[in-house]
Amino acid sequence: MIPAGTAGAAGVPVPAGAGTGTPAAGSPRPVPVPDEQSAPFWAATARHMLTAARCARCRSLTIPPDQVCPHCDATDPEFVFEPVSGRGRIRSWTVVRQSFLPGFNAELPYLLVDVELDEQQELRMIGRLLDGPDSPVRLGTPVRVAFEDVADGVSIPAFVLADGQEDA
Amino acid sequence: MSGRLTSSNKVAVVGYAHSVVQRHNPRPLGALTVDIVRAAIADAGLVPAQVDGIVAATLFPSAGSHTIEDGVHTVTTTWLAERLGASPRYVAGFQGVGQVSGSVALAVNAIVSGAADHVVLYRSLHNPRGSYHASATDAFGGPAQWTAPTGYFGPLAMIALPYNEYLQRYGATREAMAAVLVEARKNGARIPWSYWYGKPLTAEQYLAAPTLTDPICRYDCDIPVDGVAAFVLTSADRAVDGPNRPVYVSGYAHAVPKTNNRLPLHWPLDDIMTAGLDTARRLWESSGVKPGEVDLPQLYDGFSPFVWFWLESLGLCPVGEAHRFVQDGRIDSDRPDGLPVLSGGGALGNGRMHGIPQMLECYLQLAGRAGDRQRATATLAVACQSSPHYGGAVVYSVDPF
Repeated sequence: MIPAGTAGAAGVPVPAGAGTGTPAAGSPRPVPVPDEQSAPFWAATARHMLTAARCARCRSLTIPPDQVCPHCDATDPEFVFEPVSGRGRIRSWTVVRQSFLPGFNAELPYLLVDVELDEQQELRMIGRLLDGPDSPVRLGTPVRVAFEDVADGVSIPAFVLADGQEDA
Repeated sequence: MSGRLTSSNKVAVVGYAHSVVQRHNPRPLGALTVDIVRAAIADAGLVPAQVDGIVAATLFPSAGSHTIEDGVHTVTTTWLAERLGASPRYVAGFQGVGQVSGSVALAVNAIVSGAADHVVLYRSLHNPRGSYHASATDAFGGPAQWTAPTGYFGPLAMIALPYNEYLQRYGATREAMAAVLVEARKNGARIPWSYWYGKPLTAEQYLAAPTLTDPICRYDCDIPVDGVAAFVLTSADRAVDGPNRPVYVSGYAHAVPKTNNRLPLHWPLDDIMTAGLDTARRLWESSGVKPGEVDLPQLYDGFSPFVWFWLESLGLCPVGEAHRFVQDGRIDSDRPDGLPVLSGGGALGNGRMHGIPQMLECYLQLAGRAGDRQRATATLAVACQSSPHYGGAVVYSVDPF
């Protein structure tokens, strides 16, 4: 097993966000099936903490980890999930109005954002923006992580608009 | 190492056949494929026993919950080899996203190496009953565990993000895409085997369609269909003995992206363009052709934004300018000064035949077999497929220069 976020790692635990915490009526929201490599990530999200995998060889962060480090090509990256700030900026977005997953029918329409996390250039993550489909987003809009509690012990990272950082 | 391929213009396309494209063909996909492949062999003036190479790609591109059965949802080359009545020595499948361009590369390499003399290349597409992409799965492992639980699922969201990234970065609008749809559907409406035969689309109709995953509407997506197409390739030496004017394969290139372990559905615009520009550079080197010499660049359009991405990747217009380049009739194949990038109708004007409409238009025009649609000048053509960062492209020529 890969250990979960290590003590003294960069970043601070992320406060719980504005997740609705209310599973949709009808079909349940789909849940992740953790595997050996991803289990620490999902264990951390269950505690409302966002982590990224750090390569022991080149120290770069990756989401999700792979067998080979995508930055230094090491085949023994010994990835360790470390907490990250959960802050980032929007690189793109879309409003989903028709879902192919029944578990999201009750959420339509919803906004998805492609976020570059502050910790590392091109460290990008896609998640729902929980402020609603009409949120004022543009390239570079700052966001912070939030979590949706979709099932018992299962929380999915998402984002909310970060206040007061428009021109930071 | 790079540079012009030693196989450049040593292999030619010498025959073809194409089924009608429809939502659901009553005939089973496997039997239809055997029929179409045999028809292509006959079109090339050959009999099945003379065919010793079979290549194809068999991707069934659905995110939905479908069982994939060989001969029903897809047709592998081994399935076909057992039933065609050919004499196969070389039977291979292309594993990748540029299904048709990748298969062309397999065929060219097999012929030039002597692994096969006459190769059939085909693509069989199936549209399953029910929703094409819907999934009732409620627990996702593997790569989808990182995307599906947050509602990021299916190819519409995949293309919507880089499309919107483009719109925002270059100040473009969805209205600018209408010119692409009108051109694809205008040409598709003239093609008797097309699903959209006789059904052009106006800009007003396009813009009135509601978006499904902003800024994508249904018309930005090719429609899933049942359809089969096949081509026969052979060496340039043998090609001149056939009944049709040979169309030579001058070069090809496929994308080799370095995406830093992106998730399969995550296609940032910079990933697309970085790999796309590299693909195009190798394409021109492989063929000894320059972009300005191409008079029939058939761009891939399974999703409409690909047309912009390919225009820029191939150097047919500057990066960030494609949304302006397509306006004012500059891609109108009916205008003498228009660049015919969708003269074959593409996937938007035919149906989800992957790279077939592009390859077929290159073949028909350069072989002088386009009938009423025959262009006065068609000498150097390019057939693109898929996204510039995962797909590929092939250069075709009327002359073995």
